[in-house]
Amino acid sequence: MDIVVALAFNGLVWGLIIALIALGLSIIFGLLDIINLAHGDFFMVGTVLTWFVLEATGNYWIAFLIVPLMGFLMGALVERAVIQPIRGTAALSIVATFGLSIIIQEVVRAGFGAAPKRILPPIEGTIPLFGIEYDIYRIFAAGVSIVAIFGFFAFLHRTKLGTWMRAVRFDRDTALAMGVPARTVYMVTFALGFAMAALGGAVAAPITTVDFQTGVDVLPFCFMAVIIGGLGNLPGTVAAAVLLAVTEGIVTSFTDPTVARIVSLCLMSAVLIARPHGIFAGATR
Amino acid sequence: MKRKDKSANPIEPEVRMELPRRSFLQTALAGGAVASTAYLSLTRDLLAKESGPIVIGHQCEVTGGFSSWGYWHDKCAKAAATLINEGGGIAGRKLEVPVADTESNPAAGARKLRSLIQRSKARFVVGSVHSGIMLASIPIASELKTPYFSAGEATEATGSKGTRYSFRTGTDTYALAAAGAPWAFKNLGKNWTMIFPDYAWGHSHHQEHRKLIEAMGGKVNDPIAVPLGTKDLVPYLAKIPEETEVLFSVFFGALSVAFYTQSKSMKLDEKMKMYSVSGTIEAIHPEAINGAAENVFFLENFPRPLEYKNDEYHKKFIEMMNIDPVHAKENGSDRVMAKSHAWQSYENFFVLKQAIEASGWQRKKDTPGVIEALEGLKMENSLAHPQGAKLLRAQDHSGMIDCYISQVQNGKFVVNKRIPRAEMESLLPPRYDFRKYKL
Repeated sequence: MDIVVALAFNGLVWGLIIALIALGLSIIFGLLDIINLAHGDFFMVGTVLTWFVLEATGNYWIAFLIVPLMGFLMGALVERAVIQPIRGTAALSIVATFGLSIIIQEVVRAGFGAAPKRILPPIEGTIPLFGIEYDIYRIFAAGVSIVAIFGFFAFLHRTKLGTWMRAVRFDRDTALAMGVPARTVYMVTFALGFAMAALGGAVAAPITTVDFQTGVDVLPFCFMAVIIGGLGNLPGTVAAAVLLAVTEGIVTSFTDPTVARIVSLCLMSAVLIARPHGIFAGATR
Repeated sequence: MKRKDKSANPIEPEVRMELPRRSFLQTALAGGAVASTAYLSLTRDLLAKESGPIVIGHQCEVTGGFSSWGYWHDKCAKAAATLINEGGGIAGRKLEVPVADTESNPAAGARKLRSLIQRSKARFVVGSVHSGIMLASIPIASELKTPYFSAGEATEATGSKGTRYSFRTGTDTYALAAAGAPWAFKNLGKNWTMIFPDYAWGHSHHQEHRKLIEAMGGKVNDPIAVPLGTKDLVPYLAKIPEETEVLFSVFFGALSVAFYTQSKSMKLDEKMKMYSVSGTIEAIHPEAINGAAENVFFLENFPRPLEYKNDEYHKKFIEMMNIDPVHAKENGSDRVMAKSHAWQSYENFFVLKQAIEASGWQRKKDTPGVIEALEGLKMENSLAHPQGAKLLRAQDHSGMIDCYISQVQNGKFVVNKRIPRAEMESLLPPRYDFRKYKL
């Protein structure tokens, strides 16, 4: 029984980290109708920037603060250079972001190298948790994710820019007529999505690895969370990411890990058949 | 000649032409002369091409997930080509080495192999280190009757999916198990758990090791196959039984680093001995992963430090690769040589040179002679074979080489035991004989 609880808890922790990354994917789709195939690479850029800042300063916490800001600036640049010219054409967005993904990976491979690297966790030590030695840093990472997710929702609901973002999302023409600067809102939204993925990278880097292809593996899980939660449904995305990770953790404790992954995919398929707009369709947006 | 009546075909009278015998003979003679000239000219071109450079293609992971290894395979191939050409080429002919980037992708690798053979006219191919690409390539190379040297470890390449055209000078999972498992069983523990990626390479390692450990009287717990692309390994590491004495892991690249990082943070290295194969830490400096691989035992093909095979050939090879003699790190960069595998992309050119010259190969149709020369080929410890003396076994086309058990101590590889080639040969009876297939 201990192992079931331990893996369910670990699923919750990992699900929260994934939720942070998937949330960025969801806001980009929800507002801009962009199916962003480069989102996993934004996460990877976060891990690589963390490694570079850490190498330069020797202090993880500086990287933790700077990397999301760097991600925001890079997101703004990418939006202007890549997304703005093709906005409104969903099919083109797939091609453009796929190309962007390849470019980012190859640039990182050329600059950072192809060999994976490791970042030591800034908080060391473990605690015994339901029969396993559990990394304290993971609990910290989950805490950061919770704060970032709540912070994002607070920004969305309690700031002028957040209100503009929601307004543009619900009715772009009316928002424009009311004087909302739509182009700025688009740029900020995309940049925020990049920044959240980069923050996810900074948080996850000491747990996973720093590698130019690390985003490729994260992207499918994020898409699953976004699809199950409902495309563009932000609270739904967070809930789905946690649900998926906890489910996989619990199933893994009973059976083969590959079966657990199959269960996740079956869950996604069932949701797509029964509730094509996501399991949380209709929830507050 | 009996002439036909024009009125027999009134519909197309203008098409029908009279052809006097003299004109026919003149036209036929002229046509024959032109055709003969063209044929002679064509044949001369063909002969000229075969007497020009010898083309040995290199199928290599220049980009993609295996590019940290591919860089070294490419560098090794280029070094071999330079050395061979400086020494007068192969049988007096210049060596040309066109490179096909597989993008670390089996579909792309197979497609580009066909192009390498058919368009670039590669007569022999030094192939991929990626097991998936290697297995996708062997049927193509065999169909095109082109000898193909692979560097991947999946045993099928010189086993169930091997052909008369597939060769491997390095080790496969069968050889790695035979070389390392008895030592690890004796020195590390009797109760084993194996954790590996959920695809052919990992399962192949598991099957080969399981057979040996159980045959020696050990216990092998249920295997843990991790889905590819997994980032969080805690759910899998949590399933490792408490009674495990030896945790045998087989991972690659980022997944490998994630494994060492997360298993260390769960303090598994304090509870059990960690044992693995060189592929798990290939092209990775132990210091770059901040001690995550400390105390782990690895089975290697070629020791990283010069001191454990301290001879002039190894020293010269290290100089050619521009790496340091302790960590195999490239001078002026962060790259660490994928030393246990990349040597094959250097030595295989010399293997082919030896077989081509011994068989008197001139052109494509002489290839069966090269294959027969390769079967049972002996190689001496030399600058052409800095990894050491070896044998390319006739039956299963597998290299019999020295192996090494190393341990990471203070960020450096320390060799605990050398497993000599002769011992390997006795441990590895051939399971296939490709010589029964006609060329």
